[in-house]
Amino acid sequence: MTITIGNGVELDRRLFAFVGNYGSGKTEVAVNFTIALSKVVKPVAIVDMDIVNPYFRCREAQEQLENEGIETIFPKGEYFWADLPIILPQVKGVLERKNGYVVLDVGGEDMGARILASLDDSLKEKDADYLFVLNLSRPFTDDVKGCLETFKMIEDAGKIRLTGIVLNTHLLLDTTPETIYNGYTKAREVAEKSRLPIRFVSIEKGLLAKLDMSQVPSPVLPLERIMRHPWDMKPVCRFGPKELTKAADLNQKNRKKS
Amino acid sequence: MAKKLMKGNEAIGEAAIHAGCTHYFGYPITPQTEIAEYLAKRLPEVGGVFLQAESELGAANMIYGSACTGTRVFTSSSSPGVSLMAEAMSYIAGSDIPAVFVNIMRAGPGLGGILPSQADYFQAVKGGGHGDYRCLVLAPSTVQEAVDLMVDAFDLADKYRSPVMLVGDGMIGQMMEPVEFKPRKQVALPPKDWATTGCKGRKPNVITSVFMDPEVLHQFNLKLGAKYEEMKKHEVRVETYKCDRQMDLLLVAYGTTARICKTSIDMLDELGIKAGLLRPITLFPYPEKELYATAKKASKVLVVEMSMGQMLEDVERILKGEKPIEFFGRTGGLIPAPEEVFDLAKKLVKK
Repeated sequence: MTITIGNGVELDRRLFAFVGNYGSGKTEVAVNFTIALSKVVKPVAIVDMDIVNPYFRCREAQEQLENEGIETIFPKGEYFWADLPIILPQVKGVLERKNGYVVLDVGGEDMGARILASLDDSLKEKDADYLFVLNLSRPFTDDVKGCLETFKMIEDAGKIRLTGIVLNTHLLLDTTPETIYNGYTKAREVAEKSRLPIRFVSIEKGLLAKLDMSQVPSPVLPLERIMRHPWDMKPVCRFGPKELTKAADLNQKNRKKS
Repeated sequence: MAKKLMKGNEAIGEAAIHAGCTHYFGYPITPQTEIAEYLAKRLPEVGGVFLQAESELGAANMIYGSACTGTRVFTSSSSPGVSLMAEAMSYIAGSDIPAVFVNIMRAGPGLGGILPSQADYFQAVKGGGHGDYRCLVLAPSTVQEAVDLMVDAFDLADKYRSPVMLVGDGMIGQMMEPVEFKPRKQVALPPKDWATTGCKGRKPNVITSVFMDPEVLHQFNLKLGAKYEEMKKHEVRVETYKCDRQMDLLLVAYGTTARICKTSIDMLDELGIKAGLLRPITLFPYPEKELYATAKKASKVLVVEMSMGQMLEDVERILKGEKPIEFFGRTGGLIPAPEEVFDLAKKLVKK
């Protein structure tokens, strides 16, 4: 069954793994993708498989995901913050389910992708979409050669074959339409050389409204910025889980000087 | 060079290369491991040396050895690792040679946690190692500033023949921001005629921190003291935000915490409460005169840190009891939220 999310993003599988380099935007894309998916089909689960990076992981968007009725799978309680190679038993369970949709937010680079190899037995049965999240403004994936090397590195470490590219070129608040257009032109070359299709382009909603989309002729997943910095005013998701950011204030008794 | 989206840790690594650093020795620890990871890839590309030592003790002493030869060299670690490096830092200061250290601070004490913290202020500013030495300490609050200060760190280390430390809380290392690498300023630096580069045709250079004669050691300490006085005169850096007015409250914060305070100050403005921020960029030398003068314009002072109150002691020292000083701290890896600082500031101003 083919379903459509975002602006023309067609999906015909039920398991999606987002891989890529550190900081390519895997988590932001995976969280937005999962929320968009859950508006079209149910049930949807997301697995935070980032075992390499302790900050800015999709588990920080737990509340927002769960409000959408999405099942979230990652270590909870005190291991929430650990950068330990913890693979919960539920991960295998969810992979072996016969129905529903599953999104895997995999950690960065070959180190992060290695977790897929360890789940090889459960994964090889599945016809999964392995999507490489590509930001061409990032070091090591800023030219065709770097991209091709990275694709291979991740495929080898994860024992997978990539099925497509998710183009996520941006410079956060400094992103201009040119960032997107130039990124798209370069990504076409990467797609041609790697023989991987550009499955969709992810673009922040505010910027998307200003673009000439004839220059970006691909399906689009509009992005809501979910992972924010701690100084942003009224962010959707504050750094850290709710119960921790509201933890007891050790400094209630502010020191007073007379 | 086009802007790149970089994680603080990667940007610090690239900035070092941009500054002409050719040698890095280190040992991995969260949340700064990407510095080592990045340099492991990049330094061989530019003909440099990357070496993962067997421990932080090893790494820091390799820095010491490498610095003796006059090469631009640095290491990076996070809090517990920096404690292990403290001995070498003191030896480097005691040998009058330049080296750069980076501490991406995590929550302590002990093994603590891997989340951001600013609880190594005392360690960085007041010592860490033994003896009468100082580090020049730089504290960026954005990834771009981390890049710029990292480049300056090498020049400052060479200028003063001193250890220079860049400190950032874990957030500085982990967050991503667009950065650019500006063409380097040409700074006139003294020749490294003290370096141990092979003594064919000249008198051998001997680098040591051992002085058996107390008078000679005393003289050396006086020389170091004079060097720190020079730093105080010439190297103070500070940013102020909305301080060009009479203030109900002056906030004092550095690093990521300063950015949070700016958001709170903007929120307070909407209520008609006038607050300002003083952000030290150099933690040593501390912007003493600037703080004293700015605080004169404020009714109260609020120090905000990701610690139990460390920089607070410097603020108290400088303001000499002339202004009421309040403190708000978060530890354990918790980051103060702009709303929390806002709420506290409202209460303090009302009082």
